[in-house]
Amino acid sequence: MMPYALVALAPLLHLLAALLVVLLHLAGRARGEAGEPLTARLTLGACVLACGVLLILDGLALVQGAPGQVRVAEWFASGTLRVSLSFTLDGLSLGLGTLVAAIGLVTLRFSAQYMHREAGFHRFFIGMNLFVAGMLGIILAGNAVLAFVGWELVGLSSWMLIGYAFEQETATVNAQRAFLTNRVGDAGFLLGIALAQLWLGSLEWADIAVGAGHLPTLYISLLSLGFVSAALAKSAQVPFSPWIARALEGPTPSSAIFYGAVMVHVGVYLLIRLEPVLSAAPGVMSLLAMIGLGTALYGGIVGYAQTDVKSALLFATLTQVGLMFLACGLGLFQLAAWHMALHMVWRTWQFLAAPSYMHLLDAATPPAPAWLRRSPRLYTAALQRFWLEPLADHLLTRPTQALARDVRAVDDNVVHHIMGMSEARRAAALLGEEAVVKGRGLAGAALMWLARHLDHFEQHLVLRGIGGRLGAGLRRLGGWLTWAEGLFEQPRYLLLIVMATLVVIL
Amino acid sequence: MGHAHPHTNGQDGSHALLHRLEQVLPAQAPIQDFVHHNTLHGFQHLHFRAALAAAEAATGNQGYETPEAFRAYFRQGRIDLSDLNAALDETPELAPDAPAVGHITRRQVFLAGLRFDLEPLPAAALRWRMTEGGALRRCHDDVPAATRLVLLTRQGGEEAMLTALWQACAAATRVAPAIESPPVHESEEAALLWDRHRVKHEAQARLDGLLARFGKDLSLRGLLMRLAGEDLMHALRPYLVRHLAAHLDLGLAAWRNPARARGFYAAWLDSARRDPYFGYCELTGWDTLLERLPEDAETCIPQELDRLGLPQTRRAAYLETLAKELPGWSGMFLWRHGHPGYGGETTPVHMSDYLAVRLVLERLYAQQIAATHFKTEVSLFALRGYLQRHPAELLVRLHLFAEDIDPPLPEWLQAQGHRLVWEACGRAGEEDDADWLAVARLILDSHPSPRVDTGREVAEDGPHQAVDPPHVQPFPHPRRRGEAWSLFLLCQHLGLHAGALAELGEQAPRALLACLAELTPERMGWVWLQAYERHYRQEILGALAANAGRGAWKTRDEPPVAQLMFCIDDREEGLRRYLEEGTPGVETLGAAAHFNVPHAWRGLDAEQAVALSPVVPSVVVPAHEVRELPLEGADGVGMYDRHVRRRRLRLDWKARLIQGTRLGWMTPAFMSLAAAPVTLGVLLGKAFMPATLGRLVERLRLGFDIPVVTRIGLSAPNDSPEAKPEARRLGFTDLEQADRVQALLRNTGLTHGFSPLVAIVGHGSHSLNNPHASAYSCGACAGRNSGPNARLVAAMANRPEVRALLRQRGIDIPETTWFIGAEHDTCDDIVTWYDEVMVPEALRPALGRLQQDMQAACLLHARERCRRFVSAPLELSPEAAWKHVTGRANDYSQARPELGHATNACAFFGRRAFSRGAFFDRRAFLVSYDPSQDPEGELLERHLVINGAVGAGISLEYYFSSANNERYGCGTKVMHNIVGLSGVMQGAASDLRTGLPRQMIEVHEAMRLLVVVEHRLDVLTAIYQRQPAVRELVDNEWVQLVAIDPDSGVLHRFLVGTGWVEWRPEGPAPATVPTSTDWVRGRREPLPPVLIEQGARAT
Repeated sequence: MMPYALVALAPLLHLLAALLVVLLHLAGRARGEAGEPLTARLTLGACVLACGVLLILDGLALVQGAPGQVRVAEWFASGTLRVSLSFTLDGLSLGLGTLVAAIGLVTLRFSAQYMHREAGFHRFFIGMNLFVAGMLGIILAGNAVLAFVGWELVGLSSWMLIGYAFEQETATVNAQRAFLTNRVGDAGFLLGIALAQLWLGSLEWADIAVGAGHLPTLYISLLSLGFVSAALAKSAQVPFSPWIARALEGPTPSSAIFYGAVMVHVGVYLLIRLEPVLSAAPGVMSLLAMIGLGTALYGGIVGYAQTDVKSALLFATLTQVGLMFLACGLGLFQLAAWHMALHMVWRTWQFLAAPSYMHLLDAATPPAPAWLRRSPRLYTAALQRFWLEPLADHLLTRPTQALARDVRAVDDNVVHHIMGMSEARRAAALLGEEAVVKGRGLAGAALMWLARHLDHFEQHLVLRGIGGRLGAGLRRLGGWLTWAEGLFEQPRYLLLIVMATLVVIL
Repeated sequence: MGHAHPHTNGQDGSHALLHRLEQVLPAQAPIQDFVHHNTLHGFQHLHFRAALAAAEAATGNQGYETPEAFRAYFRQGRIDLSDLNAALDETPELAPDAPAVGHITRRQVFLAGLRFDLEPLPAAALRWRMTEGGALRRCHDDVPAATRLVLLTRQGGEEAMLTALWQACAAATRVAPAIESPPVHESEEAALLWDRHRVKHEAQARLDGLLARFGKDLSLRGLLMRLAGEDLMHALRPYLVRHLAAHLDLGLAAWRNPARARGFYAAWLDSARRDPYFGYCELTGWDTLLERLPEDAETCIPQELDRLGLPQTRRAAYLETLAKELPGWSGMFLWRHGHPGYGGETTPVHMSDYLAVRLVLERLYAQQIAATHFKTEVSLFALRGYLQRHPAELLVRLHLFAEDIDPPLPEWLQAQGHRLVWEACGRAGEEDDADWLAVARLILDSHPSPRVDTGREVAEDGPHQAVDPPHVQPFPHPRRRGEAWSLFLLCQHLGLHAGALAELGEQAPRALLACLAELTPERMGWVWLQAYERHYRQEILGALAANAGRGAWKTRDEPPVAQLMFCIDDREEGLRRYLEEGTPGVETLGAAAHFNVPHAWRGLDAEQAVALSPVVPSVVVPAHEVRELPLEGADGVGMYDRHVRRRRLRLDWKARLIQGTRLGWMTPAFMSLAAAPVTLGVLLGKAFMPATLGRLVERLRLGFDIPVVTRIGLSAPNDSPEAKPEARRLGFTDLEQADRVQALLRNTGLTHGFSPLVAIVGHGSHSLNNPHASAYSCGACAGRNSGPNARLVAAMANRPEVRALLRQRGIDIPETTWFIGAEHDTCDDIVTWYDEVMVPEALRPALGRLQQDMQAACLLHARERCRRFVSAPLELSPEAAWKHVTGRANDYSQARPELGHATNACAFFGRRAFSRGAFFDRRAFLVSYDPSQDPEGELLERHLVINGAVGAGISLEYYFSSANNERYGCGTKVMHNIVGLSGVMQGAASDLRTGLPRQMIEVHEAMRLLVVVEHRLDVLTAIYQRQPAVRELVDNEWVQLVAIDPDSGVLHRFLVGTGWVEWRPEGPAPATVPTSTDWVRGRREPLPPVLIEQGARAT
């Protein structure tokens, strides 16, 4: 049993590498061009070690048979809720884990050259380390909570990498959009976790698989729907697809590989992991099949109309992932697993070679099938990607914004008045003519003191070295942050409603 | 649709508009045909400096490097004080030797302003410097120690001195209020009335200013950005780019707009009318708008402009502004407009279509913004009406959103303003201005405009609260906030303490600031650039002067061991140098690598011929086609058939893999699954041993295809009909061949003294994963490899018929001489030799030796190149260095396979003898030309017109891409995404990025080309006078011109307006080192020229 506990090292090594790069960056070592070899060596070291660990375990598993569930330690427990640091080591996770670690190694090795002299070199490597750690976490995790941690790490790092060129507004907008779309899936994942704990009393994948057999179909369907929605969002299935086309803002190795080749498959993995649960929920299975088929059609048709290399490859990928979802929906999990693993490898190469795509073309692109070419209406639909994004804005985002407007009006007109903070007084306070807050008593005074010093610290830190350019940069950054905050505000309410609805249903 | 042109003022107007657009938009061809050209080609008729200014006015793009960059060069010693002083001397408008005030000369002020950052600070930063930054405790860090000592001669210590100086500066820069402070009003109503008046007055002035710009350099988008803070481009760009990219696609998409044959406007309209997209975007009135649009662009444009309410006089400018908002795509559209049928594409591309779609889309999106914010429709009339009714709103909005109002509002006022805007957007109809007035009043009070200056906040800036001095003279330049800080720093740098400043008189501070203000950003860039150029000019000319008389083969009294003719490319300077060092008996020459045989080349496997001919200074469309054919032999033809079949098979499967995995459903599934296992091995191989894998794949490919020995079919029967570009003929007649060979030999001076072996070496560059690959290849062959040209001209020169003709014309090529073609890969330093089997037996040993010498030179050259690659260790053996460069060429993760023309700096026209024996760090274009054979300069004239333009084009493209990589270049490669095979975008929906990527120019030093020509002054002057193309480049200072006398080696520099001025070396002569290797070893930085002992002489 014990050697298998080493599997924890695979994601941890990448986390450690990320942490070390952060610390060394703060210490001034992993900085600028001079620090590039250090960052690259740390990261590649982590990659090689993680690959090595996984290969050793693969070897062991080949000889001894895969160990299945491996529990390393208890993570935390509260009442009936017990979460352990456990890993599911079967043929699927070990094989796929090794593959992802190897792709990580290849990609990071690529990036060490490709990203040379980039201002965001270190930031990029931090993001990539977190990403690989998250991916390995999802794949190797023995329970839903650990997988969720990986899930979130992946989400966070992809946000960092799409927004790599944060000085450009498009990059930040797209990063935000991708991040927010994925939050919908995260909510589903959390719902799945909550229901599993509620109805099955355990979050271990193995227990969920066994326990699901004893639940009524409705319960199973609800439980699996949570996870399925997470899988749909992460794998950019219809109607979540638009976010992934926005993920192309990052550097080639990250945007292409992870959104185009690896991360997009993770939903399929989750479905395969949940095979026993899904098999007991025929309704969900047919939903999956339908969505998979829909995505495949969507990706295929839209792909024909793409004019830029990265988008063309992305929609091709999406088509294949849709087919994998279809296979899962039809119960062909084994097929989906093979399809996923092999497809991942091919797309990795194809995306990394995207900059030379035109030099790889020796002949004209074959035309789209005749039945497609006949319909101008369908062409418009393909060019506009079936309007998924404007429709979502139309149906969800704008109503939410209107809701936010209403809430803010309530804030301004009611809440502030009750708090005694009218506009005028707020302005006056800002002008320094009137104290907004007065601390009373010892605690109050202490708080005021702290606030003052924090303020001093901030002034000191923020204003130090404000030359013309840095100052302008900071102002601009401030503008973006305000704007980002604005964006964050909106779907909060949306999620709130979704949550509230779910609570009511249950 | 016929000929569609945008209608502005009738047909003439549209031609004028197109001409103007050609001037201001990037003129880059689709990326596969990337050719270097002057980025500001449209302004080349102007003086360099004026062109930069005009381009900046038109596009907003700065054309000089930033002062910070120049200051860094100064610190690195790439510019020194003598350069700066000389540059100031050469800028007479600055009158550097006149006094600024008292004993302080203007030069002192300018030097301080150039070398140090004296920019005014924003109020908050200033406050911080004063309180926390220690600005009053010690002199600024930049102040040299000696100056600081001068400052500290007074009693009282540093802090007292600085405080006194600051007080003096703060007091001196206060501005008298333009109008009285607001009167104290008797009642609140009176105050309100007064403020209403002020707001209205102020708002009207600003509105007039804004609307005066509308249609000139401000589009509807720009106007709404300043009024509503919303950039409609965010929504418009991705939508437009999809349609544009589909229309201009050159073969990536499998499916394009079915209506595209009717032109862009019609195709777009056809799609848009079926498209509910705008409805989902909640754009009001989109469907009726589209329904009512005319069917053709020519009707649409004036109609849209009418609707906007634009007067006739501003229409062309408006369209220009629109086009410039997406310069890359507009430029590509215009390029395709000018090159109909490019790449076999039949889709019509007319600029008017593009402009019409832009106009309609702008209105559509603007309508929504205007409706949300102003409850009005989009027209100049309606917007003006609304804004005049709402002066307070206008004022607040402008302060919030117009970036040119400096300084920005304080945060709390911004918050208030944004709240008002937000509330206004939520309202159903137009309301009055009352809400806004309160905030507008606060803005006016806290933020006085330049015209309504209360002078209040100046006092806040400093710790010193002084009363206004009476009768202050109006300051001659626009007052900039915090300029007390500029003055404060300037005084420190000039060594002026408060006392000394006072001694200079009451007007001194203003005079100093006025003098400093004369150093505008434009002048600053110009002076710095001149200083930078002077530094390297001194070094290069110094080396040439010291090298006089050293180089071999000034005359060819006996034949050299071998002669090698390379491309004039700056990258060949290194290889030639090592060849000369290793084998001093050889002579190297340089000629533009089309080698005078422009032709359409059809390689053995090619389906069609490609032009291998120059496109600079004008496009040469070849009239001849040359084919590569299998060598007839015992089984040559049978092999060839098998080669064709197997190659076809391989390519079919490759296409199935590359294209088949992206299009469709089941094919991609099967193909990608089948390919995956091998792919994993390939990925690992590419990651860890790219060179080995590259070689393996190459071997496998060749083995599979079966190598075929080839020859070229170069001759046509002598009675063939005349070859024309429109009726291309296969092969050249004997006469044509003789003409071409003769021209090449005459141009390069190789008319006698032939060696037994004459190698003609073309060049190319191969690298993986590089969208800009053609920018690395041969510029003389439209960005393609020039090996075929070398092979062709060598084959011509070997034909007895041609030699007989040449002999009649006085060029006697001995029978013992053999020409051989070759190609040098500038990326991996591998030389491929052509037609070796045809070399006479007697010359085989000599060829073997030459190939060995070449190989040795390639290794050493690779090592010299490696010093500029950070990934290569500094100490490398030549073999290891060569492995490194071949590894780079095969490494798909390498964003810098080679550095291209980066570092090109000068061009030498003349015999190699005058530069042979000196080290030029791969910075020189080397054009062979023998003045002794051309006493009247006729050949030289052609050289200057053609090769001068090629060199200037390359150097200027590098200049602009380096000076402003974000705007004139295309930024970093790592986010590039090839679109439509036309260019690269950043991400998936950006503007098309033109120019060179950052990775190509990192080590480049942005300067204008220094052209050194070997001939007498009178001959050069005559050429200059009769050749407008030369005059344009020289007079407008796009290049710098220097003459070197063929006999004495004396140098003269051409100064515009003055004429020839003798150049004499200053300072120490350049060092002498035994070999290049001794000089470059262990050094990464740019190296100055030195003399090299070995290789200068032939023995």
